[in-house]
Amino acid sequence: MSRRAFAVVSGVALLAACYHPRDTIPAVPVAALPGHAALTVDTSPKSDLRMVPTEAYVRTYLALFGGLAPLELQKRARGADGAQLFDTWGDYLATLGLPDYKTDLPRARETNALMLATFERLGAALCDRAVEHDLRGSKPRVVFDFDAPKELDVTAFTPRFDVLHRTFLGYPEKLAPGRAARFFDLYAKTLTRHAGDAGKTGKDKPKLAPNEAAWAVVCEGLVRHPEFHLY
Amino acid sequence: MDRRAFLAACSVAGLGVSGVLGRALFAATQAAADQEFFVFVHASGGWDVTLWADPRNERRGIVEPGSTDNLDTTPIKNWVDRKLDEDTNTFEIVQPKGCNIPFGPGIGRLVERADRLCLINGLAMNTVSHPDGTTYSVTGRHLVGGRVVASSIDTMMANELGKEQTFPSVSIAFPSSYVGDDLDRRVVPLRISNIGAITRTLTRSERWETSADRDAVTTLLADEARELAKHTQYPGALNGLALQYDALRRMLGSGLSEVFSVPALKSAQPSLDYKARFAGNAAINAAFAVEAMKRNVIRCTSLAMGGFDTHTNNYRQQPVVQQELFGLLHDLLGVLDATPHPTKAGKKLADHTHILVVSDFCRTPQINVAQGRDHYPNNSALVISPRFKRNAVFGKTDPDQLLPVPTRTFSDGARAFTPADLLATFVSAFGVNPRKYLRDGEVVPEWLA
Repeated sequence: MSRRAFAVVSGVALLAACYHPRDTIPAVPVAALPGHAALTVDTSPKSDLRMVPTEAYVRTYLALFGGLAPLELQKRARGADGAQLFDTWGDYLATLGLPDYKTDLPRARETNALMLATFERLGAALCDRAVEHDLRGSKPRVVFDFDAPKELDVTAFTPRFDVLHRTFLGYPEKLAPGRAARFFDLYAKTLTRHAGDAGKTGKDKPKLAPNEAAWAVVCEGLVRHPEFHLY
Repeated sequence: MDRRAFLAACSVAGLGVSGVLGRALFAATQAAADQEFFVFVHASGGWDVTLWADPRNERRGIVEPGSTDNLDTTPIKNWVDRKLDEDTNTFEIVQPKGCNIPFGPGIGRLVERADRLCLINGLAMNTVSHPDGTTYSVTGRHLVGGRVVASSIDTMMANELGKEQTFPSVSIAFPSSYVGDDLDRRVVPLRISNIGAITRTLTRSERWETSADRDAVTTLLADEARELAKHTQYPGALNGLALQYDALRRMLGSGLSEVFSVPALKSAQPSLDYKARFAGNAAINAAFAVEAMKRNVIRCTSLAMGGFDTHTNNYRQQPVVQQELFGLLHDLLGVLDATPHPTKAGKKLADHTHILVVSDFCRTPQINVAQGRDHYPNNSALVISPRFKRNAVFGKTDPDQLLPVPTRTFSDGARAFTPADLLATFVSAFGVNPRKYLRDGEVVPEWLA
């Protein structure tokens, strides 16, 4: 092979090596690809529930109490009953999980039994004072935005419970199947327990009427609910 | 079967048998430990070991001993003058007849109970930072980027032996941590700054709702939490909350108001010194520990006592702070000796209560220009437990610099003891596998009784 022919052949071979056919795969809709017929967004949680930060809890608590300032709330919650329902904020901060840098007490990142006891004390103060305010005719109603007849069946109970459910847990009770029935059972049993209160006098005389106590208990069940404290 | 196959079969069988026996032995030890109580004490700030655990009364190397030049010696009951130089006196070593441990005068009245003490000296801390030293002492791990990465000793013991108690772990200003996957939610330490805070939190009025009303709510909420847990991908937090609702019911239903009332505690345990300048609050917490143990409602009580961080002229009071801490431990042992165990007939609380006392680190052997002592990466710890050797001291420091020296060969060679070794040995004494909680540290069998 002459030198010129060799150069020509080499050039052709080099060109051939550089050639790449066009990508001929046609574009298709995603749904046509195997396994992609129905595309859904994965909304499942990727981690365990966490405790609502204490600051958020306290802020929510203030809002539920009618948007009062902390010291104003303390005054209102204590009322004329001394420390029977509420002490001072300072007594609860550590057990609610807030850090205390003065004593090197770190922030609590998990709930514990003592924290739940504090939630119970605070929840009772909120619900009892709200019952006294809302169900005895004072306006505007803050928590119990409905009337509370002395006798209720489950049908009449459910829409009222729904008001509280939306207030505390933020969604309709219909989305939590069976919960209204369970809380009505709690309501009814509380009424039964307090049926004999009318005869009590003096120091034993209850502060709440039976139906008021029953609504206070329902309210406490929601303000201490797992969905209120975890997210 | 040839000889090689026979030997192989024998060794496999031997391993299997030893594994079964080992597990059975571990389980038996742990079962026997489920009626034990624990008290953990943190001497907050970093104590001066040269005044009690690792006494120095000579000028040697960089060591400047405690003396009449730098300490208020008048209130120190065990202080006996010993000539240091022309116009300065240091102290005589405190070591009564029969006591195998040489102490400094800071040990106070606890020296009377030296026959029950197990002292570990020369703990290598590798830190002079308060948060890091504190964390290392109670978890066996240093901080990682400022984060605590392991559970503290009280959480470990509560998780193993205290899940069923009303209060698995009460932590009063103690650096407790709850970190790890293999932990029960019931044992999250109840962290409080003082006992009085619990009193107010548990106060309930019967004039609005009754106890029965509140109990019904809590029962419903426990059921709600369990129901919600069934429908979630990560049920841990909800199941944990359900267990805590149950614990709350037990807590409120068992009439524990006296355990959490400061006046009631003082009246129940009059022998503790509540007027002590530095240990008065710790005495209330110790009284709480005793009352809760008496009622069998607690497994671990952790408490702290401050006043040890003496960088300046306040170093003069360091031996007084030590004397009060150890005086409190002396009194506590006396109370435990006199108090019957709640479930073991014929036994006293002292027979089944295990006390571990730690600090952040120790203080420098030299006196600084402000007449105090700064932070130093050595430490000592005190164990008072029937499961540890008594009247014994282990570990040492070098005479010139007060730094830990290797005293034993571990799997990684000769080195000094560390807090991780102490914690590993402590948990192993109750049949707990240390590797479940501790990445580092080896069991030191010679410390155990």
